[in-house]
Amino acid sequence: MSLVNPCAGLKLSEINMRLAEINHTKNSAAITNNGAAAATTDENECIVREQDRFMPIANVIRIMRKILPPHAKISDDAKETIQECVSEYISFITGEANERCQREQRKTITAEDVLWAMSKLGFDDYIEPLTLYLHRFREMEGDRGSMRAETLMKTSSRAMTAAEYHAAAAGSFAGFAPFHHHGFFGYLKDASISNGAAGTSLSQQANAVAAMANGDHQASHSQYDDNNK
Amino acid sequence: MRQAGKYSGFMMCGGIAGRTGPHSLPLARIKKIMKKSGEDVKMISGEAPIVFSKACELFIEELTRRSWATTLQGKRRTLHKDDVASAIVATDIFDFLVSMVSETASHSEDGTVPEEEETVGSS
Repeated sequence: MSLVNPCAGLKLSEINMRLAEINHTKNSAAITNNGAAAATTDENECIVREQDRFMPIANVIRIMRKILPPHAKISDDAKETIQECVSEYISFITGEANERCQREQRKTITAEDVLWAMSKLGFDDYIEPLTLYLHRFREMEGDRGSMRAETLMKTSSRAMTAAEYHAAAAGSFAGFAPFHHHGFFGYLKDASISNGAAGTSLSQQANAVAAMANGDHQASHSQYDDNNK
Repeated sequence: MRQAGKYSGFMMCGGIAGRTGPHSLPLARIKKIMKKSGEDVKMISGEAPIVFSKACELFIEELTRRSWATTLQGKRRTLHKDDVASAIVATDIFDFLVSMVSETASHSEDGTVPEEEETVGSS
């Protein structure tokens, strides 16, 4: 599989680095005004279109370096291959998740669909760390833009014992059922008590999380029992 | 593009983004790739790209680990595309990637794989 790129003379790796810079400096502009940003110069236009298909190579390399010993070298073609593989991975999982949505006549691909698809396609080992990650994200969502979110996250990494995690995961994930609010509302309560300093009331946080979940998730999640707090 | 606003609003304006940690992959890019995976991909919840950002990290880590094992077997210190290909072929769950590295298989039979081969417009 080769990459066709009209920007002759530029190595893909160079384009990747430059795009990483471009994306870094005008991130939100690029997202919302993608057409405008792409149209500014011909060079930018072809870079944005091509690289939309892949994760920024700088990010890919950084993750690889976490695994490799310091003296290890990575060839450019290896970097690009892995970069391509990541996109293929996303497409692969999304395709399966989307099929499930269509079978169940839902329009929105949810986090649960993604996790379900990963498990079905053999990536079981990822489910546990991903579930934990998603829980932490949802907690932070409940207290957007405030230092308490960070405090809560630090607290959570201590307070969430293996037992609590498994209880939350088991309650949330039995048979790949959607996440139950009860699971992590109970968790939030524990964290607040142990933290002590968290001023935001539990019901405020719970409402915020429920509001976010309701806003994001569509009809498929009407089965959530919002009274389950 | 309202979907983009849901997470780019609070994720990208520096508020939560910094607190999810330095490891996050760009959510907008993930979402673009998800949308391109099929004609009929309609809507994507705000959390799905979040899950993918972590999942891709795990994926890269696993692929790198396995590739590096092949590098070590060859007593080398440079991770090549061939090593990635070997890791893919050797791992069941990476079967979906086999077609992406099948070119490499034919190259390695020559015994020589120039490092800087993958320039724009070649092959």
